Amino acid sequence: MKIVFTPDWFINNDVLIEAFSFLILFLFFLFALKAYNLSKKRSVLYLGIGFLVIALGDLASIFTKLVLYYDTGITSEIGQAIITSQIVSTVDIFYYIGFFFHRLLTLLGLYAIYKIPPAKNKISSEFFLTIFLILVVSLLSHSFYYLYYLTAFVILLMIIFEYSKVYKKEKLVTTRMLLTSFIILAVANFTFMFSKLGPIYVISQNIQLVGYVILLVLVIRILKNGTKEK
Amino acid sequence: MEIMNDILRIVQDRGRNTKKTHLMYKANLSHKQMKSYLDELFKNGLIEGDLSSENYSVRITKKGMNFLVKYIQMREFEKTFGL
Repeated sequence: MKIVFTPDWFINNDVLIEAFSFLILFLFFLFALKAYNLSKKRSVLYLGIGFLVIALGDLASIFTKLVLYYDTGITSEIGQAIITSQIVSTVDIFYYIGFFFHRLLTLLGLYAIYKIPPAKNKISSEFFLTIFLILVVSLLSHSFYYLYYLTAFVILLMIIFEYSKVYKKEKLVTTRMLLTSFIILAVANFTFMFSKLGPIYVISQNIQLVGYVILLVLVIRILKNGTKEK
Repeated sequence: MEIMNDILRIVQDRGRNTKKTHLMYKANLSHKQMKSYLDELFKNGLIEGDLSSENYSVRITKKGMNFLVKYIQMREFEKTFGL
């Protein structure tokens, strides 16, 4: 079974894009943490945790891919002896766990971000059902890779719906930028479903990069506005 | 927090020593309320001045100005997410 869909010439670039995404997500976490320290609003803290969880998911993917791309010592021994088959199964488990955590944490983080705006809702049984379904999707996506992207796409659509309500209410430029980046990330996840077709994977990674660049611009704008308003 | 930010902004907008009466009028607070907020701001080093005199005036410190910037940024961050 194919573990990743990265074409040879794109190896490293995808890790760089994910490292960039990790930094942006971590920046949002730090921002939320600072805001929480000032306002003590729990919803801000949960939002920050949501971003942190996605960032950790990215980190799991980066770490797994780096081992996959650079640990040629183990993979070159494939097919040599009985010992080798044991090594191979160990390596398989490592990739399995690494990418499983990537999928699980990303979906959990996206769900947290989706749940934040209507934070007034108390945790219900529906919440636990969703966590269970996310866990199932993360497990099954090892065999049916598109399930993960489809779920991420659906959660992103729900996020877009929720934040479009926020935008309609306040009409803030920053919320519009946030919405735009979520729309682009949703498009990226949709196209990721067709990753088996070589170039699509690269295109999807680049679409995702655009989404994260917009999030970076959003952070810069918020920082600049703070100094301007002073 | 919101009220303390408002007081800081009033002092900052004034750009020089801000008198008690001006603050009370702009922030729409009683003398007692104003005094307790100012004590808090003073304790945290966000404003300076002699609060013990009858007709005191205050001014914003560098720390106060930095706090104001951070507060505005954090509020904008929260508003972006509708929080």
